[in-house]
This record gives sequence, C-alpha cells and structure tokens, in this order.
Amino acid sequence: MFNLLNMDLYRVKRSRSCYICLGIFLIGMVVMYGLLWLMAVPEGQKISVDIGMLTAVQVDEMSTIMDGTDSLILFRQASLDGGMYNIVLGVWVALFVCSDYQSGFIKNILALHQNRWNYVGSRIMTVGIVNLCCLILNLIFALAMNRVAGDMVPYAGWEDYLFYMSWVWLLTTAFASLMILICVLTRSVAAGSVAAVLLGSGVIVLPVYSILNMFHIGGWLEYSIYLTMTKGPGQYTAAKDLYVYVVGAGFLILYTVLTGIVLEKQDI
Amino acid sequence: MYAEHLHGKGEKETMETDRKSIYAVETNALTKMYGEKAAVKNLTLKVREGSIYGFIGRNGAGKSTTLKMLCGLAYPTGGEIRLFEKPVSDPTVRRRLGVLIETAGLYPNMTARQNAVMKARCMGLADDKSADTVLEVTGLADTGKKKVKHFSMGMKQRLGVALALLGNPDLLILDEPINGLDPEGIRELRQLIQRLHEEGKTILLSSHILGELSKIATNYGIIKDGELVEQVSREELEEKCQDYFQIEVQEVQRAFALIRESFPDVRAEAADSSSIRLYGVRNGAEVNQMLIENQVSVYASGFHHMDLEEYFLDRMEGGRRYV
Repeated sequence: MFNLLNMDLYRVKRSRSCYICLGIFLIGMVVMYGLLWLMAVPEGQKISVDIGMLTAVQVDEMSTIMDGTDSLILFRQASLDGGMYNIVLGVWVALFVCSDYQSGFIKNILALHQNRWNYVGSRIMTVGIVNLCCLILNLIFALAMNRVAGDMVPYAGWEDYLFYMSWVWLLTTAFASLMILICVLTRSVAAGSVAAVLLGSGVIVLPVYSILNMFHIGGWLEYSIYLTMTKGPGQYTAAKDLYVYVVGAGFLILYTVLTGIVLEKQDI
Repeated sequence: MYAEHLHGKGEKETMETDRKSIYAVETNALTKMYGEKAAVKNLTLKVREGSIYGFIGRNGAGKSTTLKMLCGLAYPTGGEIRLFEKPVSDPTVRRRLGVLIETAGLYPNMTARQNAVMKARCMGLADDKSADTVLEVTGLADTGKKKVKHFSMGMKQRLGVALALLGNPDLLILDEPINGLDPEGIRELRQLIQRLHEEGKTILLSSHILGELSKIATNYGIIKDGELVEQVSREELEEKCQDYFQIEVQEVQRAFALIRESFPDVRAEAADSSSIRLYGVRNGAEVNQMLIENQVSVYASGFHHMDLEEYFLDRMEGGRRYV
C-alpha cells in the first residue's frame, strides 16, 4: 500500500489539477477578503459608498454584523460552510481516480496488487494528505489576508483552530472517500463531478432535511457530512462537541469499506 | 541486460531441461461466466517456462478474458490458475509477471519516463534507473519531455511493453501487442520479443496477425467460443501443416478409390466437394497420370503448404473431414 502511496504522491506533485484546485481556493479567499475590506474597513467603506455598493445606513450596520466574527468564523464561511471546498475537492478526486480507469493505468496497478484494499487504502491516504495540505494552506492564506487587510477581524485561539481543522479534515476526507466510491462505481469523471456538486453543495441534503423536518423526523440528517460541516462547533466547549469526530470517522470507515467491497467484486 | 550467467555447458543443459519441465502458466478448468453466458469454459492451458506461447482465437473467443484472469484483473467463476507452480494469488509470483493487456495503460499527460517511474514506484523499486533501463531497451530513451498523448500508436505500445518489462519479470503476458503498429514497428517488437525469449523469459501473447505470430511462437493454443480447441508445439504444427498435393477432379469418390489402390502409403482427405488433398506424395505427375489413364478428369493440381492462418481457419471450421 505504501508503494502505491509513493506512486500517487509522485503523480499528485506532477498533476496540474491539484494546483488548479488550490488556486481556486486561494482566489476565492482573495475575493472574499477583498469584499470584506470594502464593507468592514473605513477606507474600503468610503470606496463602497462612492461606487454605490453600500449606503451610509448599511455602513453603520456593518459594525454590528461584524461583532463576534473572528478569523476562524470568516475562514469557515469563506470556504467550507457553503460547500465550495467539498465541491472543488470532490471534482479533483473524480479527476484523480477516474483517470486511472480512463488511462487504463489501473491494469498496471491491479495486476501487481492482488489485494485491492491496497488500492483503496492508498487512494484514501493520498486524498487525506492532499486535503490536509489544502486546508492548512487555505488557513495560512486566510490569516495572511487578514493581516494584509489590517487585522479586520480578531484571531481565534490556536486551540480553536486545531479543534476545528482536525474535525473538518476528517469530514472532508470522509466526503472524498464518498467521491472515491462513486468514481469506482461509475468510472466517469462527469458522473463524479455532478455528484461532487450535488452532494458537496447540499442541493440534495437540504431539501430532504426540510421535507423530513416538516414531519419532525429530519433530526438524524444533522449528522450528514454537509450539515455537520455547516453546524459543527467552532470551538471545544464540552464532550458532546466531539460528535463531529464520530461522524467523520464513521463516514470515512463506511465509504472506505464500501469502496473496497465494490472494487473486490469488479473486473477491470 | 538480463543475460543469464551460466557456467558449464552441462550445467546449462540441466537447467534448461529443469526449466522446460516447469509450467509458467497452468490453468485447470478455468471458467468465466457473465450472467448465463460463459466467456471461458473449462479452459486447461499449459505454458512451459521458456516458451513463446501464441494464443489464437477470433474476436470474442475469450482470449482477453483468459489473459485478464491470469493477470488478476478479472475473477474466475471457477477453476484454478497457477503461475510457476504457485497459486496466482501468491504476491511473490505476481512480481514475476509483466503484463500488457489490450491497449497500454498510460497517463496521457505524463512523459514516457514519468509513466515508467510511476510503475516502478508502484512495484516498490527504489531506484528510478530501472525506468531508464526499460526505456532504453524499448528504444524510448530519447523521448524527453514529449507527453504520451503526443505519441504515435507504436510508441505507446512500446511504452506498454517497457512498463511490462519493469522489475525484470520471468513471464510476459502481451495481449495484441502489435495492434496498430506499422510494419517497421511490428518488426522491432518481434525482434524485442525474440531477444527477451533468448534471455530466458516466457512470453504468452495473443495476436490476430497470425503470419507474424508464426515467426516467433514456439507453442500455440487455439481458443474457440471460450474453449481451448487445441494446444500444439511449433514442431507438431509443422507436421500438421506439412506439404500436400491438391487435385481438383470431377469424380471424387472414384478418384479416392483409385488413389488408395495405386498409392497405399498416401493419406488422402477431401478438402471440399471437388478437391482432394494428398499427404506423402513425392511425385504429383504420377498421380495425375494414373487418374487420367483411368479416365478421371483432373482440372487442376499442385503442391501446397498450409500456414498457421490456414490451419487456424481450418480448426475454426470444425476440423477437416478425413476419408
């Protein structure tokens, strides 16, 4: 499995798609901080009023809106809570996994590795490593942007960053493992990309959640990947906050096992 | 590159004999079902170590399915596969196997070297130099930064063979390796296969280009509708494809009777309703003269040699009618 991981990391380093995804995250962050500067910083607010983007009343309201917002909340809202991060990560996973099938290179891999769990394990580890690098780079970039913009919002405590980043990494990796399952089943980049958009943005989960809530039976959907990411705690306050790890680990194990079973049954 | 270092002549002969008594590939009642349809039925294939085994069959006969099962890419519904007398699931055996199934599996946005390094890492080869070595062997060492998507079909196939050669495998399974190659590419690949065979590798390859296959194969297996029709060595095939004298006559039955009476050592068989094939005839003129003297009209006559293609087609049609 570690031979395969070594091979995958060699490929990731030479693959443009990985850098494009990271670029998308960073551009999103620049746009978000740019808009925030226009709305929250006095110099920016002056420009916003001049160009008609904000009214004087809205400028007065901004300080209330920004109350209680720190750099971690801003980071969450900018990239993770809306599902943008999962969509981009999901599309990258679809490109990464499906290219094995489309190029036929999977024949070279599986002819050597009879134990197909090695393939699943190496893919999950690769995605986990790429995901961790992207999240950390994203966070560093977000903090740097805040600093460049003149510390628009206060910084959260390091323990809050650590807590949030650890569980969000687990959940996003679980989402990536779901994408691997879909790609192994369909072997299609198109199907994988559509699934990434539908599942990552909450287009499926939110309507189902609303419908079920009409009958008061939608509570269990709060433990779905999408809603856990959106509603999960930003800081550790009590043991119940640890449920996010259970959700992340549970889905990661579930989708990994399902992928392994599907691959075990497939002919290449 | 992979030259064997053998010392005494006697030692070499003993090792050669030992090798040939081992089966590199052995299947027993191998079966693959897709729903109700059997793609491969009770296939018992034996490939001796050190041979070039030509696996022949029509499209859809079950060649690729069989080869995929040997490589572990498809699961058999029944039966057993042994490679070098060990179960196919044995990881040590899998490392002795190099495969090229259908088209070469290559990442199009990478260079030849990057693809080779990827496969080397997948195998756990610590040194990337092995990638350079196989590229040199297959004549792709100077492709530089050219991406695989810009390669010709022949270059891709050669790169596929290069990947199969990584790790110096003892058994090469090549499925249609000369597909899409130009005559020069075919000749180069043939020479490469012969060189690898001389280095002691066992090669199992399928091809539709039977003329080309007959130039290199030492053994043949013919598969039809998922069943192995025949396994023959080159020597046995040559014997079966011996020269024959073919005559076209008006009265086939009478001609048969006369030939049996006049040439008791000659084996005769009907090729079709008006043609007879005679095996063991040295002088065709004597046969013609005898038939004419007995007032049997001979429309045409001549010596023929059956090649692999003719033999294959003959076997596909269900065998000849022996009289």
